[in-house]
Amino acid sequence: MDLSPRQPTVGPAESSRPKSSRRRWISMGILAAAIVAGGVVVTQFLSSAIDYYCNVDEVGVRDGCESDRRLRVQGTVEQGSIKQAAGTTTFEMSFNAVTLDVRYDGDPGGVFQECIPVVAHGRMVSGVFLSDRIEVKHSNTYVAKNKNRLDEAEEAADACSRVG
Amino acid sequence: MPSATASVPPPTRTAATRNLGLLAIAGSVVLALLGLIFTAEDVDQGSSVRIMYVHVPTAWVAYLAFVFTAVCSAGHLWGKKHSLNLDRLAGASAEVGVIFMGVTLVTGSLWGRLSWGTYWQWDPRLTTTAFLFVTYIGYLAVRGLGGTQRQRAKRSAIVALFAVLEIPLVHFSVVIWRSLHQQATVLRPNGDVTMDGLMLFSLIFGVAVFTTIFAWLVLHRNRVLAMEDAMELRGIDTALAARRSEEVSS
Repeated sequence: MDLSPRQPTVGPAESSRPKSSRRRWISMGILAAAIVAGGVVVTQFLSSAIDYYCNVDEVGVRDGCESDRRLRVQGTVEQGSIKQAAGTTTFEMSFNAVTLDVRYDGDPGGVFQECIPVVAHGRMVSGVFLSDRIEVKHSNTYVAKNKNRLDEAEEAADACSRVG
Repeated sequence: MPSATASVPPPTRTAATRNLGLLAIAGSVVLALLGLIFTAEDVDQGSSVRIMYVHVPTAWVAYLAFVFTAVCSAGHLWGKKHSLNLDRLAGASAEVGVIFMGVTLVTGSLWGRLSWGTYWQWDPRLTTTAFLFVTYIGYLAVRGLGGTQRQRAKRSAIVALFAVLEIPLVHFSVVIWRSLHQQATVLRPNGDVTMDGLMLFSLIFGVAVFTTIFAWLVLHRNRVLAMEDAMELRGIDTALAARRSEEVSS
C-alpha cells in the first residue's frame, strides 16, 4: 500500500492534517515563550525576591543591608510621626526598638497610616532614608469596620503608641 | 429529520451538569451579594478587602485544579489501563486552573495597588505565583505538541507530576522568605484564624462557589476533549479506509 504523504484535499481526514500541524507550531511557540518567561521570573526571583527587604535594625549591620547602597527597608510607622508639608511626607519607622527617619517626596496614598508596617525603597543620606517608593505591608488580620470595632481599633492604636 | 440531526454535534450537557451550572450561577449571585453588600469594610483596607472574596478562592481552587491534574496524571501513568480519560481530565483541570490562576494574579494586582500602593513587585509570593502560572501554560503547550494520544498523555503526565511540586513553595513562600504579601490568614499552622465571622463565612462560601464552577467547567471541557480525540481517531480511520479502497481499485 502506498503510504506516502498526500496533498490536502476537501475530505474531512485530509483537511484536519494542516490544522493539527498549525496547532503543533502554535504550541511550540507558546512553550518557547513560557520557557523564556519562566527564565525571566526565576532571574527576578534570585535578584529581587529573596530577602525582599531589610528590617530597620539591620540597616548598616547585616550583609546586603549596607547603608551606602539602595535598600528596601521594613518597619512600623510610629504613632504621631507623620508630617506632610510642601508635597513631602516625613515619618519615623521602627523595628526592634530601632527608629529610622524617612523622607518621601509625595503622598504615599493607599492605606498608609500610623502603626502600620511599610516597606520604603530608597537610600540613606546623612542619617535620613530618602525614599522614592512606599509600600504598605498590611497584616493578615481582617477586622470588620463598625462602631464597636472602631473603638477597638483606636484602643489598638493607643497600644501601638505605648509600645513605640 | 435524520440529516439535520446528524450534522449537529451532540451537546456536552447532561441533567447533572445543567444542575451544577445552575448551582454555580446561583452561588455566584449570593457571593456577589455577600462580598459587595452584606460584609463590612475592613478597618485598615476599607472596601478593597472585597477583592479577597474572589482573589483567595480562585487561588485555592487553582491549587486544587493543579493537584487534581497531578492525581489524574498519576492515575494515567500507573493505572492498569493507562486511561486516556484521566489524561483528558488532567488537561481540562489544568486549563481551568490556569484561568483561575490568571484571575488570582489580576485581582491580586488590583488589590496590591489599593493596599500596598503598587500593582506588582518581585516579592517571593508574587514571583512564585507567576512562575506557577507560567509553568502550567507550558504544561498546556506540551499537551499540544503532537504525536499520538498516548504519547501526549505520557509526556504531559510527567510534566504535571513535577509542576505540582511548586504549590507548597508558593504557599510557604511568605514563611520561608521575607515577603510584601501578608502571611496566611486561614490556612495557618497554628489553626488560629484572624478574620471576622461573616468575612470568613463569605470567603469559605466563595471557595465552595468557585469549586462548583471548576467542576462544571472541567466536566464540559473533558467531554469536548473526548470528542476532539474521537474526531482525530475517526479521521485516521477514514484516511486508512480511503487508502485501502484505492489499493483495491488499482
